[in-house]
Amino acid sequence: MLDVKEIDVAYGHAKVLHDVSVRLNVGETVFIVGRNGAGKTTLLRTIAGLLHPTKGTITHAGQEIQGFAPEEVARRGIRYVAQDKKVFSNLTVRGNVELAAHAAGEDLKAALKKLVDLYPKFSQFLETKAGSLSGGQREILLIGRAVVGNPKILLIDEPTEGLAAIVIDEIFRILNGMKENKVSAIIVEQNLAVVAKLADRIYMMKEGKIHHEIANPREIVATAELEEFL
Amino acid sequence: MDFISIAPYKRGIIFRDLALIGGAFVLLAFFLRLNWVIDFTIFAILVLSYDLLYGYMGRLSFGHVLYYGIGAYTASLFLVHVSPNPFGAIAAGIAVGAVVASVIGFIVVQTEGAPFALVNLAFNQIGYWLAASGLQQITRGEDGLPSSVAAVGFLDFNDKPTVFVFALLCMLAVFFLLKTFTLSPYGVLVRSMKENDDRVQFLGYDTFRYQWLTFVLSSTLAALPGALYAIFYGFVAPTVIIPFGNIEVIFAILIGGAGNLYGALVGAVAFKLISNILATTITRWEMFLGALLLVLVFKFRRGLTGYVADFLPRFRGKPATEG
Repeated sequence: MLDVKEIDVAYGHAKVLHDVSVRLNVGETVFIVGRNGAGKTTLLRTIAGLLHPTKGTITHAGQEIQGFAPEEVARRGIRYVAQDKKVFSNLTVRGNVELAAHAAGEDLKAALKKLVDLYPKFSQFLETKAGSLSGGQREILLIGRAVVGNPKILLIDEPTEGLAAIVIDEIFRILNGMKENKVSAIIVEQNLAVVAKLADRIYMMKEGKIHHEIANPREIVATAELEEFL
Repeated sequence: MDFISIAPYKRGIIFRDLALIGGAFVLLAFFLRLNWVIDFTIFAILVLSYDLLYGYMGRLSFGHVLYYGIGAYTASLFLVHVSPNPFGAIAAGIAVGAVVASVIGFIVVQTEGAPFALVNLAFNQIGYWLAASGLQQITRGEDGLPSSVAAVGFLDFNDKPTVFVFALLCMLAVFFLLKTFTLSPYGVLVRSMKENDDRVQFLGYDTFRYQWLTFVLSSTLAALPGALYAIFYGFVAPTVIIPFGNIEVIFAILIGGAGNLYGALVGAVAFKLISNILATTITRWEMFLGALLLVLVFKFRRGLTGYVADFLPRFRGKPATEG
């Protein structure tokens, strides 16, 4: 479905990804694990079209997309949820969803229902300015906005970062629901409890390279190996 | 096209507001000199057009008056060389404004922040130079270009009440258009681009295209009051296109409140009232405008309408809403 093959990515002269290869099959939940600065976010931003590799290819549904602009990547059904939890804070929750619904050609009512199904409390917050939501609610809104229009692939960067345990449980429930619905996703995550329970496969990154791939779910449960990379 | 459609109840609100605004300007015409109120109305259209660019899309431009000047000069030249028909002159002014904005838009929209403001200023400066000097054989340079209009049926644009009613109808039409746009999903998109351009791209929007479109719309609307000015005064000089005019527009927006079409109207009237009254009573009246700007920036960042929006809920014992 998505095949990232031997890509190099650089910020100016500083190369940050070296020969990185990652693949995502239909319905899979793949996690990228690694320390800060390992290149995880750079990898997601490159797939999303914000950065362009200097070498290698990114193939989606048989077409090379490594030179595509972010909006072209998004229009192919690849949605990126960034790490910083930035919603459109001056728009209401409804406005945030409306924007995504128009881009995806989905009926607004259906899109709002999807969001409320994901997180029922949003039914009370539809007219609330998104800027006044909590960090957890913002993350859920971002994920809810990204699933409007049934995207083919979700790229989610550190969804539980900086959130309270009770909110992490809520995010976990949402990600688990997506996994059960066979939504294909690449997720960057440092919370090993979440990774261990949801991952079909894990890529461990170190110093801009894919150091190791864990393809066997039983291996994933033993988190000691993962901790070495955090 | 559902991208610029709005819910019927919102349309009802717009018509109610149009009636209120129209009534307020007619009242002004009873209490103030008609010349002043016509001038306010024309200026209000210019400020409304700027609010779309600055208030809604967040692009501060020091070159918006270029399109006002293009509208004024084109209308005048049309009246002098083509036909004394005022409707033809207005149409010509808007059309030329739209064409120039479409071309310049491709260049300026590639920039943002200070470069956007300054590149627009550069184009405005070029326009001013062309009007004052470069094309003086056509524009008559500093001497200015006089023109006259012919009556169309029962509409005589040499009659001030007729000009006032026509300018007011134009202003209400622009308000209706902009209000419809800003309440529609298109307006949601424009406001979201102001906040975070990258995130809008992640949703699949070609933001360059929509920024260009908004720039062209805003600039084209600025040509309309320019053409009305040419018809009302029957004379245009390089002062209609002088870059300093942008400061007046920005001032008006700051007084009324940016990103709020009501604020644009309140700011336009308040600015013109202040400058007209002060100019007749105090020699260096600009100094007071400077002091007012300091008060606005430090105490009333959301302008008069923002202050009222914050104050009213407190007065009623309710917490003020954000934004």
